Amino acid sequence: MELVAGVDIGNATTEVALADVSAGKPEFLSSSIIPTTGIKGTSENVNGVFQALTVACERAGHRIEDLSRIRINEAAPVIGDVAMETITETIITESTMIGHNPSTPGGLGIGVGTTIDVDALASERGRGPWIVVADRSHDHDQIARLINEATHLEVTGAVLQRDDGVLVHNRLAHKMPIVDEVSLIEKVPRGMLAAIEVASPGHIIETLANPFGIATLFGLGAEDTRSVVPIARSLVGNRSAVVIKTPAGDVKERRIPAGKLIFEGQPQSLEVDVDRGAEEIMTTSRRLTDVSDIRGEPGTNVGGMMEKVRVVMGNLTNTQPRDIRINDLLAVDTQVPQVVSGGLANEFSMEAAVGIAVMVKADRLQMQSIATQLTDRIGMPVEVGGVEADMAIRGALTTPGTDVPIAILDMGAGSTDAAVLRTDGQGRSIHLAGAGNMVTLLIQSELGLELFDTAEDIKRHPLAKVESLFNIRHEDGTVEFFDEPLPPSVFARTVVLKPDGMVPLDLDKPVEHIRQVRIRAKERVFVTNAIRALERVSPTNNVRDIAFVVLVGGSAMDFEIPQLVTRALADHRVVAGRANIRGTEGPRNAVATGLVLSWGQ
Amino acid sequence: MSTTIDEATLKSIIAEVMRELQPDVQPKASTPTAKQDPPQGGRISFEEKGEAQRGTDPTEVVIALAPGFSTQQFETITGLPHGDVIKEVCAGIEEEGLTYRFIRVLRTSDVGFIAHDAAKLSGSGIGIGIQSKGTTVIHQRDLPPLSNLELFSQAPLIDLETFRAIGKNAAKYAQGESPQPVPVRNDQMARPKYQAIAALLHIKETQLVQQGAKARELKVQAVRS
Repeated sequence: MELVAGVDIGNATTEVALADVSAGKPEFLSSSIIPTTGIKGTSENVNGVFQALTVACERAGHRIEDLSRIRINEAAPVIGDVAMETITETIITESTMIGHNPSTPGGLGIGVGTTIDVDALASERGRGPWIVVADRSHDHDQIARLINEATHLEVTGAVLQRDDGVLVHNRLAHKMPIVDEVSLIEKVPRGMLAAIEVASPGHIIETLANPFGIATLFGLGAEDTRSVVPIARSLVGNRSAVVIKTPAGDVKERRIPAGKLIFEGQPQSLEVDVDRGAEEIMTTSRRLTDVSDIRGEPGTNVGGMMEKVRVVMGNLTNTQPRDIRINDLLAVDTQVPQVVSGGLANEFSMEAAVGIAVMVKADRLQMQSIATQLTDRIGMPVEVGGVEADMAIRGALTTPGTDVPIAILDMGAGSTDAAVLRTDGQGRSIHLAGAGNMVTLLIQSELGLELFDTAEDIKRHPLAKVESLFNIRHEDGTVEFFDEPLPPSVFARTVVLKPDGMVPLDLDKPVEHIRQVRIRAKERVFVTNAIRALERVSPTNNVRDIAFVVLVGGSAMDFEIPQLVTRALADHRVVAGRANIRGTEGPRNAVATGLVLSWGQ
Repeated sequence: MSTTIDEATLKSIIAEVMRELQPDVQPKASTPTAKQDPPQGGRISFEEKGEAQRGTDPTEVVIALAPGFSTQQFETITGLPHGDVIKEVCAGIEEEGLTYRFIRVLRTSDVGFIAHDAAKLSGSGIGIGIQSKGTTVIHQRDLPPLSNLELFSQAPLIDLETFRAIGKNAAKYAQGESPQPVPVRNDQMARPKYQAIAALLHIKETQLVQQGAKARELKVQAVRS
């Protein structure tokens, strides 16, 4: 009996494939997978490798001393990092509008009038119409009484500081629309013409979100109507709103100068402004055939961002930051909730942002020194096998139903790697920026989550809504019942269904919304990168000329990423799917299997 | 040494409470008792409407009052008038567009069970239990009594704003929404400072417990502020 073990040290996991090669042809006995100890490519990996080997040997009924040869991978020295840059901001001047969405405004319809303090109602002689403004010092009984007593005035609406809209409305003799929870109410200008609109539950405002609607209410001319377009636009989708007509009031969307990205490479160096968005950045990067480095304009936000990446990478690989070369970059347009400056009620606006993932090729990782240490520890020959991508292809070819020309997509956490093997045995491989971590970053920023880990949970597991203590509704609409009551911490909440239990989310967004954010984030990173990678490794630069694409790596374990990629590649008539290494291992163990198969060659 | 000081403090508190406990025995014009002179602010009067029934209205939140609430004690441990407490809880529910119904629980003075009794009688399955000293629980009828949705155990730290938020959150649970739990303040000093008085107020309330008595439907007649 002659036992050979293939060991693949990855960023997240260390995998082993164990085979008996005495018959000339490897017969696989067992495999194992354990978390990588330390950062990939450092001597701390040895402990993890030792444990993975022990587990695999035990499963096959052998001891680690029975091994005759160990092969470890020549790991691709690729590390990725992600960052986010906001490129627009909304500014409200002169407190022209209140566009927040209090959960419970009062009343219904539209009211137009001049703003007046609630205390001034009794002494006011002008008939109106008036819009009442009341601050925190008045409770709902008092506000309702003051308005009801002002029978000599025409009051058409109210703006309140406390969450009292429904309460005041219930106590009014004459009904009117009321917008509440305006936290900075002292900034609402008094004596100005204003309009309030409240829509019924489940509906959105129609008049104030329409420039001509505002023009009708305020009697604006054509020129002024043009200037209210940003106001109307920022109110689209709200259930309630207040617009105040002030001499110089305006809502502006400003583009924040984020700086330039400089691509150095062949045939020439190119520059692109980050605030032009992801599409422009990616188009620029495609115009270069070979990128040697990507830098940010010094002294700008993006300059600082790229510098930070270099420092992180430098620390990881033990090199000077200035020697780090960024070889690829994936930019994705996204939206980030930001507080509107000049807003009166802590309004949030979804601002445009660009998420950027970068990839750095470091020096060769210290695989040879790991091999030497391992030899010292268990006293048997350890050799560094072939290139990781080639090994992965060999392993992937054990998936039933595959043949050359074949491409593999290895979707990890930091980078997306692709490799192709042609009919003539020629191979080609590539590493691209952007993978699992980028998806997590997009989910985190678009949902405004505080913790990266929460976004990671949302990325990895399906969602459900706890409808009662005995049943949940899954994100696809099916209902599941429980015999025992669920813990009160998940009652009425949107939860992430992790294998070890439900985790409640602190989000008041519908399940479907969160699901869409999750799926779009995965599509924008993995589908984009799958096509980008396959275009580059394809002999004709066309995705169609690859017959089979198998997905391997950690992200291929995801419950929906393989389907998303399969569906997108089906449009290019490519057979793509999750690998099933040796027909048993799923998308895992490709490299380790390849290392064993390449033994003796 | 310190023990004797504690004892002295305790004795003075006990003496004070004992005086309150027997207002009719020793009525003093100069020191008005709670019963004769309700605290400034809200005072409520009730009409009992017989045994409390299980509600069918899915938009109602049932508020259960402990045995001594506004019959024996009229303000919380920090002196918030019960009328104001009730007003804020109701406002919180009303602002969310839901309705409320009052019951009085007599069989226990344990706030968890009071709230659970409320939840079991509530058409929406959501109930709020309030002890005289201010301790409050939001409950759901399918939960075990000793569990809860939200517990506000440190009565000295609950202010009127919190009572409003409690009403609001209970209403949101009743609508099947998932509100952020009301922020609960925590103060280590609240325990040593209030523990003795809290225990006495609870004992006072527990004296009114009628074992096995059914909950009573309450009609709140006047919330005067």
